[in-house]
Amino acid sequence: MRYVTASMRAMALSLRNMFRKPTTVEYPEEKRERAPRMRASFALVHNADGEEACIGCLMCERICPSSIITIVQGEKRESAVTGKKRGWADDFTLDLQACIICELCVQVCPEDAIIMTREQERPGYRREDLVLTMDKLYANEKKALAWGRGSILMDMQDPKRPVEVPAETAEAKPAAEKPAAETAAAKPAAEKAEAEKPAAKPAAEKAEAEKPASKTSLEKPAAEEPAEKTSLEKAAAAKPAAEEEKP
Amino acid sequence: MTLERPDRADPYLDLDEYEPEADLMVLNFGPQHPSTHGVFRVVMYLDGETIVKAVPYAGYLHRGVEKLCEKLTYAQITPIVDKNDYVAPMFNEQAVNMAFEALTGTEVPIRAQYIRTIVGEIQRVASHLLWLGTFAMDLGGAIGGGTSVFMWCFREREMILDLFEHLTGCRFHYNTHTLGGNRHDIPAGWAEKVHATLGHIAQRVDEYEAILDHPIFKARTEGVGVISAQLALDLGLTGPLLRASGVDHDLRRDAPYNIYDQLDVQVMTDTGGDCAARYRVRVREMRESIRIARALVDNVPPGPICGTKPIKLPVQTRVKDGQVYVALETPRGELGTYVIGGGDNRNASPYRLKIRPPSLHALSALPYVLPGHGVSDAVAILGSLDPIMGEADR
Amino acid sequence: MNPWLHAVLYSLVLVTVLMTCTAYATWLERKVAGRMQSRLGPTRVGFAGLLQPIADALKLLQKEDIVPLAADRALFNLAPPLTVFFALATAAVIPFSPGLLASDLDIGALYVLALSGLMVFPVWIGSWASNNKYALLGGMRAVAQGISYEIPLLLSVTIVILMADTMSLSGIVQVQADEGWFIARPFGLGLATFALFFVAALAEGNRIPFDTPEAESELVAGPTTEYTGMKFGLFYMAEYLHSIIVAGLGAALFLGGWDGPIAPGLHWMVLKTLGLWMVMLWARWTFLRFRTDQMMTLCWRYLVPASLGLLMAAAVWVHAVHGVS
Ligand code: SF4
Ligand code: SF4
Repeated sequence: MRYVTASMRAMALSLRNMFRKPTTVEYPEEKRERAPRMRASFALVHNADGEEACIGCLMCERICPSSIITIVQGEKRESAVTGKKRGWADDFTLDLQACIICELCVQVCPEDAIIMTREQERPGYRREDLVLTMDKLYANEKKALAWGRGSILMDMQDPKRPVEVPAETAEAKPAAEKPAAETAAAKPAAEKAEAEKPAAKPAAEKAEAEKPASKTSLEKPAAEEPAEKTSLEKAAAAKPAAEEEKP
Repeated sequence: MTLERPDRADPYLDLDEYEPEADLMVLNFGPQHPSTHGVFRVVMYLDGETIVKAVPYAGYLHRGVEKLCEKLTYAQITPIVDKNDYVAPMFNEQAVNMAFEALTGTEVPIRAQYIRTIVGEIQRVASHLLWLGTFAMDLGGAIGGGTSVFMWCFREREMILDLFEHLTGCRFHYNTHTLGGNRHDIPAGWAEKVHATLGHIAQRVDEYEAILDHPIFKARTEGVGVISAQLALDLGLTGPLLRASGVDHDLRRDAPYNIYDQLDVQVMTDTGGDCAARYRVRVREMRESIRIARALVDNVPPGPICGTKPIKLPVQTRVKDGQVYVALETPRGELGTYVIGGGDNRNASPYRLKIRPPSLHALSALPYVLPGHGVSDAVAILGSLDPIMGEADR
Repeated sequence: MNPWLHAVLYSLVLVTVLMTCTAYATWLERKVAGRMQSRLGPTRVGFAGLLQPIADALKLLQKEDIVPLAADRALFNLAPPLTVFFALATAAVIPFSPGLLASDLDIGALYVLALSGLMVFPVWIGSWASNNKYALLGGMRAVAQGISYEIPLLLSVTIVILMADTMSLSGIVQVQADEGWFIARPFGLGLATFALFFVAALAEGNRIPFDTPEAESELVAGPTTEYTGMKFGLFYMAEYLHSIIVAGLGAALFLGGWDGPIAPGLHWMVLKTLGLWMVMLWARWTFLRFRTDQMMTLCWRYLVPASLGLLMAAAVWVHAVHGVS
């Protein structure tokens, strides 16, 4: 009897899955939406002056764990636009076959010259198809570029940076409705309200509530942290209790 | 639980002996076999279909990662060790970076610790989901119900990978941890995505439990591959395997790192020590991880995400000497990293980096557990140990 | 018409139709299984992947035909066609509609059971001739399973024979058309017999949850481990044929065969066969697999006694209704 009921339940469940939307994306025809940070392939870009941004500083070549970037440094000469003396890369090869997509080369680039694309390279039939030469890299500039740039990544990891405000969140925020130090009794309600908002926002809000101009200042609100910690502890403890009642 | 000298016969003592007069069939199980989880070989001595002796051979996926790490600098190691436990890469990078931080005395900002905890717990869910799927496939076959569960688990796991794609840009091998913190901050709107995904997965986990609460599943797992608590301790098993044997041990609670000392992590234990107990422990851990991650993700404190200068030059971190062992709790157990400073590249590489993979220890249980079981059970047992060969062989 | 000519022509048509059905059964199974698993199934070859079976066959034909050096060549080559032969031969007596069958044998039910009992031979031959350990283990399992589950299968069919008082399959269907389907008549007993038949048939045809002989996760591919190309394809085909024929047999024995309102008999028969086959498929993609010893326990400890009990109950019922004849 146990067999029969359990089998019925299992079969009902498998039937239910039959009517769920299939998750398959038929790749070459339709493409899944890629996250803005998606890293897939590489591009070399031109700078604001319309010149090749890479100065051939070899930073990326040195950091690459797979040692797959080969750069031929060019002679220093004047830029045609600004007239300043700068370095050039005469040749730039990136062997995508051995790339582990670690994004370190992007991070170290001082000129934001090498950037990842969100689009994969087309599969090829020969090994050389995956070796990105300089031409290919500059051609990739037109593809959807990933969000990561050397400067962005560096800023994000700056140890002195108090609050990360990604470019996407630079929108109008509602006035902060709660100060950072909250009494324990009022916490769950406020927390619920907060759950609806992006993670980075409450953080930004708190900073804003105390000093509206702190968004750009590099000064860190030091007093805030211990209070934050203890209230969080409570929040973590309070959350499961609230959750258990749900089902 | 005290540690005593085991009084049972050690199956490793007579591993290479084979008595032809015993009239046993030698079955080379793997490395080219559908269910050896990567590449792994067990030589089984069969009497009929009953295993008399089992000799595991690891090393088919050896890539020399530890040696490679001696040549690379501290900045370059993180993306390399990512590939060890390819089912839960977050933990690999976190492990080495925690070791480097301990070695250099770097402080990790609180925000980075929160992010590390959250991504770790989400990754744990993903890893257990994958385990559940492959375990069902081991029991149910490539054309059968097992594959259905496998596909469903992967469907949900994909959603978690989507989360990581939004956070780090990669679905796998993220390279998001760095010395002193994290490389990627939480993007806007990520917390809602986490809530939506994990809430969804929590429901689906109930569904899988319902579909696997079936007499066939019970018959295949209950009493199969029993590892006693003593044996588990003797072999150095950790993680869900140890907890399924009834030993209440979890590094997240017992040797807290990150912000786990502020969290109330419920350690899931079970007493059976068999495949069914391991299944129960992992499913409960999935729920617990979902709970932790959801509780934390709304409360990430503001602040920097990296405690030191971000990576710019490969050789910017130099450690003259000193050694450190750091362990953390991965979905498979204790992942230890032992680093000795002062190596190549004028001290910018470790002199030695040793990784203690939980999977290797799990596999060492096979000669003890397999004898007496049939070939079908061998597959179930191997699956329930959740070995990742990339990690075991390194 | 000359009965010989009829038999030959009909068989040719039947074989063609069945083979096509088998090919499309694989397509249907893959589609349904795909949807069940949140996938799409075949989509590439032709509209909705409809040409997939043909592409598969072409691919299998192109594959290199590897015979292991240590294999017994003659037996190794004999096994695949033999399975298909036995599977097809069974189809001869399945009544698709009144008069539409290759040969209305008086002992049709017995013939079917005898042939499906023989099905274990080619499997064993193939597994033995492969000279492969996985194949050997799979073959051993297949033989043990085939022989064990033959008994409940046989007994459940015997119950039907007892109730219908004939061994001819078309006769059995006729009785059901006249007096009601055996799945519901007598109440409870018929259903239990049907369940028994269904389980035994699943096991006989090595379908999940009873597919231990093939158990990919344990025995790589069981008896077919060493087979490549179209030889493997033949085994595969035989498995599908067998499952379709078993579904047809179930429809004929329990679900009233061609009996049904309005539409002609053939439609009903096809519909019922397809329905039963779909249930088998559905079960296949839902359940995990038993272990060999558990399967044997299930058979000898539960199914065989249950079928014997049902047989006795059926005898009592027949006696009560029809009296001693
Ligand atoms: S992303 Fe690729 S090219 Fe860039 S540093 Fe990493 S391995 Fe080298
Ligand atoms: S890509 Fe950037 S890091 Fe690499 S050589 Fe050019 S400027 Fe330097």
